[in-house]
Amino acid sequence: MALLDQDVKYLKFKTYLPCYCPHCKKTFNVEKRDVKYLNFTGVYEGADVDVKISPYLNVFEQESSIPLKEGDLFEDLKCPSCNKSLVNPDIVCGDCGSPVGEVILSAYSRLIPFFSCLKVGCEWHGLTRADERHIKIKIPRQEMPEQDQKLRIQTYQEVPYGYTTELASLEAGRCLQCKNPKCVEGCPVNVDIPGFIKCIREDDFDGAAKVVKEKNVLPAICGRVCPQENQCEEKCILGIKTKPVAIGNLERFVADWERKMDLVKIPIIKTKLNKRIAVVGSGPSGLTVAADMLQYGYSVTMYEAFHEAGGVLVYGIPEFRLPKSIVNFEINYLRELGLRFEMNHVIGKILTIDELLEHFDAVFIGVGAGLPKFMNIPGEALGNVFSANEYLTRMNLMKAYLFPEYDTPKPRGTKVAVIGGGNVAMDCARTAIRTGASDVTIVYRRSRQELPARHEEVRHAEEEGIKFRLLTNPVQYLGTDGNMVKGIECIKMKLGEPDASGRRSPVPIEGSNIVLPVDLVVVAIGNGSNPIIFQTTPNLNRNKWGNIEVNQQTNETSIPYVYAGGDIVTGSATVIEAMGAGRIAANAMHKKLSAKTKKTTNSN
Amino acid sequence: MKEFVNTNDILDFAIGNEQDAVDFYLTLASEASSEGMRKAFEEIAGEEIKHKARLVEIKERGIFNMPVEKVADLKIGDYLVSDPVHAGMSYQQALIVAMKREKAAFKLYSALAEKAPNADLKSIFMALAVEESKHKLRFELEYDEHVLSEN
Repeated sequence: MALLDQDVKYLKFKTYLPCYCPHCKKTFNVEKRDVKYLNFTGVYEGADVDVKISPYLNVFEQESSIPLKEGDLFEDLKCPSCNKSLVNPDIVCGDCGSPVGEVILSAYSRLIPFFSCLKVGCEWHGLTRADERHIKIKIPRQEMPEQDQKLRIQTYQEVPYGYTTELASLEAGRCLQCKNPKCVEGCPVNVDIPGFIKCIREDDFDGAAKVVKEKNVLPAICGRVCPQENQCEEKCILGIKTKPVAIGNLERFVADWERKMDLVKIPIIKTKLNKRIAVVGSGPSGLTVAADMLQYGYSVTMYEAFHEAGGVLVYGIPEFRLPKSIVNFEINYLRELGLRFEMNHVIGKILTIDELLEHFDAVFIGVGAGLPKFMNIPGEALGNVFSANEYLTRMNLMKAYLFPEYDTPKPRGTKVAVIGGGNVAMDCARTAIRTGASDVTIVYRRSRQELPARHEEVRHAEEEGIKFRLLTNPVQYLGTDGNMVKGIECIKMKLGEPDASGRRSPVPIEGSNIVLPVDLVVVAIGNGSNPIIFQTTPNLNRNKWGNIEVNQQTNETSIPYVYAGGDIVTGSATVIEAMGAGRIAANAMHKKLSAKTKKTTNSN
Repeated sequence: MKEFVNTNDILDFAIGNEQDAVDFYLTLASEASSEGMRKAFEEIAGEEIKHKARLVEIKERGIFNMPVEKVADLKIGDYLVSDPVHAGMSYQQALIVAMKREKAAFKLYSALAEKAPNADLKSIFMALAVEESKHKLRFELEYDEHVLSEN
């Protein structure tokens, strides 16, 4: 064994872990409960020797097949699993010019369920394993790295980069693994959340993806666009004292990891049933029904009004929030599973529900809420007053953001106002700023507290320079001689006295009218149900708002063997809620069709 | 403007107005494009029937001390454009029409209160105006919750 000197190469360690204390920024002391040492094969004087290295950074322990002490040198270190070299020989010491091996101990990422800090005075200093539970709460919620605020408005690329494996491990380490997990109750499709997080903690990302996919066929999408803060994360016990586990971010991580590693496998469907299902609409509820029914063994045909499948996922949600490649990947998965698509089919016009029932054993309607609401104020018919639906459909589905590569002109404005405070409004405003608008303003009737958009979306919008005019309500649009919008007359609002339920409705302040100069307006106050399907199916019961009425237990409509779910039943809701409705319908459909088959068989 | 000699004249007028409203909503119900809409209009007609019944009871019992309460006015209907009433109109359109009808009734009773020849008649007109503003508030709240859900 040689001592360190300048004519031989030496080893240094590097870790991809966040190797600093998030509180005081000093290097961590890393421990693991069960494993005290890393086992390596070290090459010393041409011969392999077993060596154990303490997971403490930069410390050699004297436990090996030969005596070791700090500063001892190895010619090489090999991975104990695959026996490949862990040394990068291309690096030279900046001080002495000696060849330097740089070992990337990614193994560290498997060793960090527990931290303490070396710096005296830090609140994490001197903590022991007994403090583990305490410490877990103190590990801050890991935020996803994001694109630079100023640079990202010049592109349509996705804003958050997603977790690295290390960040995912760190975040998964915060989960308390509750025996009675409330988070699962908060998930509309009851994903085994502690189960998949446990897999992440054990570095079994493939296993984690499988656990998620048992209940959720669109995890990469849900991980991006579902409001977890009002669902699973709202129920997280950790959230009582600090921030809840970032379940959505972890879900996204495992789905992305599985996709990037090319580990998505198409399951072999063993049973083939001689029954056919029609799914109308290719949004989240329809895709869930299709996936479930295909796996039961049914033949499934999906009818989509547009030329591209995905529903609101492709026409509504912008690229920077949900890349189309991810939606396409999920849809291709279903295509390979056997799903047949019929694009450009407006059911209610080209085919009626009754006609579908002549050819299919059951029909699922998941056409979403595609009818934009307007305020019915004067001037809404002026040029450059768009509904959010039209604006986003042009930009996303028709790919105006890729003009001139795609031949859809961008609805362009330099001073843009977006009416409304939901996620769709944020999407419109953030899209507008990316088209080059110099001034984009959200006009919202209530106060910040009532903004229905996700906190994250509001933050992103503000970071990107979107202005917010709160407690402000448009009363009319003003036009030029050429009937193009040139301004919005608004009235300031105040929150009125609480009613019996404690809610404070906004009321106008008389005489507070102002005019905002604009050249483009996007109305994003919500969507209703599209009436087309009902024009040829009047016996399909619906409520006064035009939403289909269903049996809550089965999601079957007033027409036998016709089911419905998603926004067309509930009004605008979340992706995962639509998927939950699709699952209920698929289960009920399968049960009813199976019972029918049995009855037919028996009577024969 | 119609001349009112006594409180019974006022109440007959108000009862007639409520009956007009009942007829209006029942017509909409008969022309509704869906079962859900038909039920909704029938429910509103049912509420108008209750309003009428209350006025009839007041007239028959001779109880004229109707309280004048302060009712919130969200003024939602004030800024909206009302489409002409037509068969198969949407529920949103129907709510706008309803808000404007109730507002018009409120304004009528308020104007009558202004011109009332004595304090008794004035207080009855004011109380009727309050009743109408309550009806309007009911429609405004529904509009606020469902149509302006993201605004």
